[in-house]
Amino acid sequence: MKAKKLPDSPLSRAQSGWLAALLLCAQVPLWSDVLPWIAIAGTGLVIVRLVPALNAPGYARPPLWRRWMLPVLAVAAAVGIRAHLGYFLARDPCVQFLFVLVGIKFVEARSTRDGTLLICLAIFLAITQFFYAQSIFAAITAVPSLFALGGALAALRASNAAQGPIAAQLVAPGRLMLQGIPLAALLFLLFPRLAGPLWGSPADAGARTGLSERMSPGAISELSRSDAVAFRVDFNGPPPDSRNRYWRGPVFSRFSGREWSASYRIQPGRFARREGPVIDYTVTLEPHGKLWLFALEHPASLPRPASEDDITGVSSDIAFLTYDQQLIARSTVNQTVRYTQRSVLQGSVMPVPGDATDNLQLSRNNAHTIAFARELRARSDSDRAFIDTVLRRFHDEPYVYTLTPPLLEAEPDPVDAFLFDTRRGFCEHYAGSFVLLLRAAGIPARVVTGYQGGEMALDGKYMIVRQSDAHAWAEAIVDGKWQRFDPTGAVAPSRVERGLGAALPLGEPVPYLARLEMTWLKSLRLHWDSINYQWQRGIVGFNIDRQRDFLREFGLDSARPVQLVAIIAAMAFAWVIPVLALSRVRRTRADAEVALWARACRRLARAGLARRPDEGPLDYVERAALRWPQWADLFLLIGTSYAQLRYGAPDARRATLLSKLCASVDAMPRARSLAS
Amino acid sequence: MTPAFPGGDLSTGWLAQWRQSLWRLRPADLDMVVLRHSRIYILPTPRGAAVICTLAIMLLTSMNYALSLGYAMTFLAGGMVAAALLATFRNVVGVAISPLVAGEAFAGGTMEFTLSLSSRGRDRTSISVGARTGAPVDVDLPAGATRPLRLEVPAPRRGRLPLGRVSVSSDFPLGLWRAWAYVHFPLTASVYPAPEASPPPLPPGHTGSDARRSTRSAEAELAGLREYQRGDPQHRIAWKAVARGAGWFTKQFEGAGGSGAIDLEWAQLPGSLDVETRLSRFTAWILAAEREARSFALRIPGTDLPQGQGPIQRRSALIALALYAPEDKAP
Repeated sequence: MKAKKLPDSPLSRAQSGWLAALLLCAQVPLWSDVLPWIAIAGTGLVIVRLVPALNAPGYARPPLWRRWMLPVLAVAAAVGIRAHLGYFLARDPCVQFLFVLVGIKFVEARSTRDGTLLICLAIFLAITQFFYAQSIFAAITAVPSLFALGGALAALRASNAAQGPIAAQLVAPGRLMLQGIPLAALLFLLFPRLAGPLWGSPADAGARTGLSERMSPGAISELSRSDAVAFRVDFNGPPPDSRNRYWRGPVFSRFSGREWSASYRIQPGRFARREGPVIDYTVTLEPHGKLWLFALEHPASLPRPASEDDITGVSSDIAFLTYDQQLIARSTVNQTVRYTQRSVLQGSVMPVPGDATDNLQLSRNNAHTIAFARELRARSDSDRAFIDTVLRRFHDEPYVYTLTPPLLEAEPDPVDAFLFDTRRGFCEHYAGSFVLLLRAAGIPARVVTGYQGGEMALDGKYMIVRQSDAHAWAEAIVDGKWQRFDPTGAVAPSRVERGLGAALPLGEPVPYLARLEMTWLKSLRLHWDSINYQWQRGIVGFNIDRQRDFLREFGLDSARPVQLVAIIAAMAFAWVIPVLALSRVRRTRADAEVALWARACRRLARAGLARRPDEGPLDYVERAALRWPQWADLFLLIGTSYAQLRYGAPDARRATLLSKLCASVDAMPRARSLAS
Repeated sequence: MTPAFPGGDLSTGWLAQWRQSLWRLRPADLDMVVLRHSRIYILPTPRGAAVICTLAIMLLTSMNYALSLGYAMTFLAGGMVAAALLATFRNVVGVAISPLVAGEAFAGGTMEFTLSLSSRGRDRTSISVGARTGAPVDVDLPAGATRPLRLEVPAPRRGRLPLGRVSVSSDFPLGLWRAWAYVHFPLTASVYPAPEASPPPLPPGHTGSDARRSTRSAEAELAGLREYQRGDPQHRIAWKAVARGAGWFTKQFEGAGGSGAIDLEWAQLPGSLDVETRLSRFTAWILAAEREARSFALRIPGTDLPQGQGPIQRRSALIALALYAPEDKAP
């Protein structure tokens, strides 16, 4: 019996230890997402608190300066974050502030009430890491913080004297967590998901890798170094061959002399005229923070949410088609999007009014290129012949396709420098200079960026398109319709057919997964990607659509929220019963010594000394000790500790007695060696 | 037609019964109570409320930013909180509690009530038992154990002190939920008046013929030993004999019942004294007489206790003083 603890008592060592564990579990996954000085300060403060001096009893009544530390440091951190990032009232600065705030608060924490506040801050901090990554790895790093949450709560509850052994402190929260998993799974599947955000669109969803609104020399070669997945595709039917895997993205018509950017025109477009079979597929697009969606050239339908029921015929438009054949989403792609799409591989896109004038714009610089093109056009019979000459020039002259082209930043005429001087470039150099040559020759042309290629996953069920497949090509109006030309194909034909790894010369820094040889490491990575894909689709991408799909399997897709709540309640009730009953079947502690004693008796009986029914434990072990004097001490110890455990007053020594009994029964000689 | 409850109509009977089952305001638990679900309340503690609010904020954040893993983590933590609710309930349900005895106390002290708590088949951790006043007591009980439990209740005034409603509660394992149940035993103790701090000496024994003897009456002489009987006061046990292993004996004092016999009478005291001071002085005298092993009689309005000695006499006298009600006072 002990006095009831006060509701607000000073923190004990064990309590601050558990709190530190919880805070570290919440902070560590965020290290790569916060500013370095925030990471060092926040985590450093947590570790500083573990210095024994700060846990001395006198710490409960701190001097004045320590009481002022919290507001002063907090304001300093806020000012620092504001100065570093340039803004404060947004999601990311607040995460940074919370990160360092828990450290500051922990250093001055004195009472269990402070502990409660820290627990609440820490579990919130633990989910902020999912703003930045929702990978399998991120999920795994969140598990320890749940453990530590249970441990810290249990430690705060118990008064100082009542902290059990560390193993017991770990087991209890672990058991609660396991018991809670069915309920958590139920809520995860059935809790109604929202179609959109509650308050505004999350503006600073973070910089993501992907194509950008501008294309300058070096932009795509930079992107091509990344192995990150851009999107994955499930085909209804055979995938197109590699020469036709042009995934259309942003289209650029304006040229500054150095940089390509999109036209100002916003105008709906019409689908390409179909001249071949259609191909249907589903794209799972990773968030890229921009508006465009990708489709094989040429799109023949608007993208539809993948789980939309085809039979209902009601398609919610998530995107529209522009006059230059781009698919523009209605909202920024800040989360994984799945959409079904239809394309025609052979089709013709007719120019719209304005296309010809827009796509003839030249720049003031690069005069050499322009003069060269005009002269070459004058010598050619037709536009087609001119284009063939240009492509042949790329192929025959010593042009090199490389991921590490010379930097042309300082050149006043970057296209001139590339075409006539360095002759080393990546796809954006070839596409950009090609378009400029055509425009100079009076042929309307524009740059198209996107992805070219894609690799089938190991199971052959879906295709992975990576950032390393990023590509730029050209489009020109020839014979009255837009036609695709890929000058990179003229320089390095294998780029189009076999991918980046085949096209680049040896020694280029090709991203690992773009290389051709199928090493075991690459195969491992592909397996991993397959797991990751399932993870992205099933867990991270479990949104309102996937939830509807899931409910449809049970015929619940038309269930109203009230009915869903009723189902959740009913299933939660079904969860309560086994959890409540669980402890009934558990063996109580009182049984432990009985089982051990029975084991000892059985062994002695096998050795030839059975216990008489009326014999008490002490008499019995005395008899055994007389029979085997060399084991007398052990037997007497077993008998006395059993008798003490079974018939003595229950007290604090129980645990030690029990472990002593357990150890001595384990140490008993085998029955055969006793009998001989 | 006979009413369902004698002396009350049906509707108030229903209402009263319902209120009783909610709050247990009447001491109607006559014997051992096993805590069942119908008696157990459970609500979040302040810490539990804070954690639940945080989980709600986490859920809103996950909804706004469409964080699937945020949902997963929130629900896992929520599952843990829900499992803690059941664990807290399980820790309390099935506990048996029964009344044992009430102790002795003087006004201004603390009264000790003894209850008995049984874990009945399951380990119980940190069960807190508390009366309305006084500090609650925390106990851990292994499965199958029964323990006496001493509740200390402040006893500010003389008179009857009911134990009142007792709450049995626990916030094990995470401190997020508090489950509690009320039990109300009709266990009542008598609080004796506080003994006067420095009372005048005992009045002289009325049968004492020898003046010399009566002056040194405080020093009764040891006359011999007799076999110990249950209920003999501890300070009269012949400890030396016990230590020698000779057995248990009680010291007998010569003349204790004779020459030292005292009459404690209401009228003896100066009329200027108020009632409580009189009761305090009598209490002090009874304790003194008991210490000196002298026989005494107590005559106060409403009570006439004949000459006697020993624990029963002492107890009867002190109870009479404890329960003395002024309106019974004789003119």
